[in-house]
Amino acid sequence: MTVNSKASPVLLGVASFAVILLLWEAVVRLGWANPFFISEPSAIALSLIQAARSGELRHNLAVSLGEFAVGYGASVVVGVLAGALAGRFRIVEYILDPFLWFLYSAPLIAFYPIFVIWFGLGVPTVIAITFLLSVTQIAASTLSGIQNVNPGLIRAARSFGATERDLLWKVVLPASVPTMIAGLRLGIGRALMGVVVAELFGATAGLGFSIAYYGGLLKTTNMLASLIVIVVLGVVCTQALSAVEAQFDSWRTGPGS
Amino acid sequence: MPGALSSSNARMLISGLAVVVFLAVWEVAPRMGLVDVMYSSQPSRVMAAGLDVLRSSAFLHDVAVSFSEFAIGFPLAIAIGVPLGLLLGMFPVLRYVLDPPIMAIYATPHLALLPILVVWLGIGMESKIAVVFAGGVIPILVNCMAGVRGVERSWVLAARSFSAGKWDVFSKVILPASLPGVILGIRLGVSRAVLGVVVAEMYQSQAGVGNEITRYGSEFRTDYLLFYVLLVSVFGFAATWAVRALEEKLWTAGK
Amino acid sequence: METCIVLDPAMEQQRGSGTSSHIRIEDVTVAYEKPKAAGTFVALSSANLDIARGTFVTIVGPSGCGKSSLLLAVAGLVKPSSGRVLVNGQPVSGPGRDRAVVFQDFALMPWRTVLDNVRFGLELQRFSGEDLTARARRYVELVGLQGFENYHPHQLSGGMRQRVGIARALAVDPEILLLDEPFGALDAQTRDQMGTELLAIWERNKKTALFVTHSVDEAIFLADWIVVMAKNPGRIVEIMPVDLRRPRTMETMDSEIYVEYRKRIRAHLTGEARDSREIIAPHG
Repeated sequence: MTVNSKASPVLLGVASFAVILLLWEAVVRLGWANPFFISEPSAIALSLIQAARSGELRHNLAVSLGEFAVGYGASVVVGVLAGALAGRFRIVEYILDPFLWFLYSAPLIAFYPIFVIWFGLGVPTVIAITFLLSVTQIAASTLSGIQNVNPGLIRAARSFGATERDLLWKVVLPASVPTMIAGLRLGIGRALMGVVVAELFGATAGLGFSIAYYGGLLKTTNMLASLIVIVVLGVVCTQALSAVEAQFDSWRTGPGS
Repeated sequence: MPGALSSSNARMLISGLAVVVFLAVWEVAPRMGLVDVMYSSQPSRVMAAGLDVLRSSAFLHDVAVSFSEFAIGFPLAIAIGVPLGLLLGMFPVLRYVLDPPIMAIYATPHLALLPILVVWLGIGMESKIAVVFAGGVIPILVNCMAGVRGVERSWVLAARSFSAGKWDVFSKVILPASLPGVILGIRLGVSRAVLGVVVAEMYQSQAGVGNEITRYGSEFRTDYLLFYVLLVSVFGFAATWAVRALEEKLWTAGK
Repeated sequence: METCIVLDPAMEQQRGSGTSSHIRIEDVTVAYEKPKAAGTFVALSSANLDIARGTFVTIVGPSGCGKSSLLLAVAGLVKPSSGRVLVNGQPVSGPGRDRAVVFQDFALMPWRTVLDNVRFGLELQRFSGEDLTARARRYVELVGLQGFENYHPHQLSGGMRQRVGIARALAVDPEILLLDEPFGALDAQTRDQMGTELLAIWERNKKTALFVTHSVDEAIFLADWIVVMAKNPGRIVEIMPVDLRRPRTMETMDSEIYVEYRKRIRAHLTGEARDSREIIAPHG
């Protein structure tokens, strides 16, 4: 096995993408593939620069990120709260269980038309879908984190006379942080998908909207440009949270800690 | 917690009660004028709509279309994802090169590919199959890779010490040991695939369940809409449950 | 079968303690509900024990003999189904400041540093009269971990982690120290080393200590009194005084008396002793 230094995965990633882009460009230039379908990196780059210059990129990014921030932010607050309450009070868990489980396994985007009926086309619906998609993940992870605290730690705290409040703040909550953060990371992926897909269907701005809009005009270059922005966004967010997650990895309360 | 309720019985009781209460409130609230029935519908209406749909001939056609899109796309995802995943798992060189783009794709919402796939393949069944494929193949691939990498080196060495050839090592050690990862990938892929069918049809299509969802949505017919949504949810759940049952069978059988 | 021991007054005077017991275990039975209502499992049946202040008592027996349950009942973490535990004449109804526990799996909070972990008990007990951090620091030094105050448990070896556990328990200055197979998760060499160090620390302030182990050698080496237990049902079968001079060393383990003790305990463990006074050679 090769030694993993901090620098090499990044380097490798960059190198890998560079190779792919070069191949892509070459394949199109040499006439092996029709640029109508897959465009070429140079054209895409150009369109991105144009979109950036004209403010279009900034506008779409702002709209999408705004919807993401509100939807995901709300889902974090509600999800952690719900998960914590369910973790603390069995009754809450039993009550929420069937609903969480249904929301988790159902294809939530199918609810989109219902949200349109309730909130109309546009930003509120996008936020609603984003919220719904990630809140179930975060609530489930928070609940799991709280329920899977090493009971040995709780017993130790009790032996020193910990009250229920002590147990909650000094043992259970810190111990459930790693799992909670993992849930937050997974929630980001789902929230992002919610934003993009909801925008695909009915929005007037945003990255997803831009893909659908250019799709209607059959302008693959612009579509791919927006898509690439989304990919980059997804990677950045996931990597960022993975890094945070790694920091808290030593907090994990496995057996024998 | 006070009360000596047997845990699993209490759980079923309270959960069941919560659902019943929910349904009751849902049914009664529009009657009491608390909420406009057009927005929320009612369990009774949804059931009535459901019966109506199930009796129509168009329903079978729609289900057939949707199901075949799934039934072609998902096995395709398995057929390509599993061998590719296993291959990447076994050859580190390939993995190092392809890992970054694969992880980038994994971090991306696969449904964002919808419009592009429609441009490439049109609004017929092909684009839906492609979406199903796209949704399923990545989790399968990633988890197959992880499954192979999870194979203990000591097992491979043990096999080699008995003069096992490359094919034997593969079929007798690596393949069985990676199976949990493969099944996990399939389970994660199933829900993405089901989602793919429905959403793709909702976006642009001529037939299928998702198409109906959009239609009823635009007609503000919440009862029919909800029935279809529930139908799709049940299917997604059933498919995931089936794979999970398979997963558990494997766990108890093997190892 | 009642095995009640009243400590020899002469021996007690040697230790300079009063004649009243520090811990009294009166006919304690501990039973657990089996899952899915399959009845109850009796972990410990009718235990009787009297322990004087300042004594180091080890409890040894096979798995399932109820030794941990006995310890946890004294700790107040487990409620006896019948009988009671008295500390200083008062019945035990839960954990208290007079008792502190050291656990086999260390039970350290992974997000806290060594120093903060030692502070943990002090915080929970709302210790007053001294700066908690300064006090914690003293106990970190006592167990020989100075310099490691800002390390996290995952950066430490098993032996070091258990030292933190011991420091944490000692920091709250309990009258009684309860140790539940504290060295069970450590390798043999670390175990021996920790045992010697534990005794050195204990010699300084002679707390009443209850030490559960399944190692016969550990049981003899550390103890003033050994409580031997058997299983099916979990019960006390013998209580032996240990007549070895302190401080104990490696040479102690070669002495004839030591070997005799070991034989006797082994006999109990292999189930061959019928009369606890008889010395029976165990199967080779």
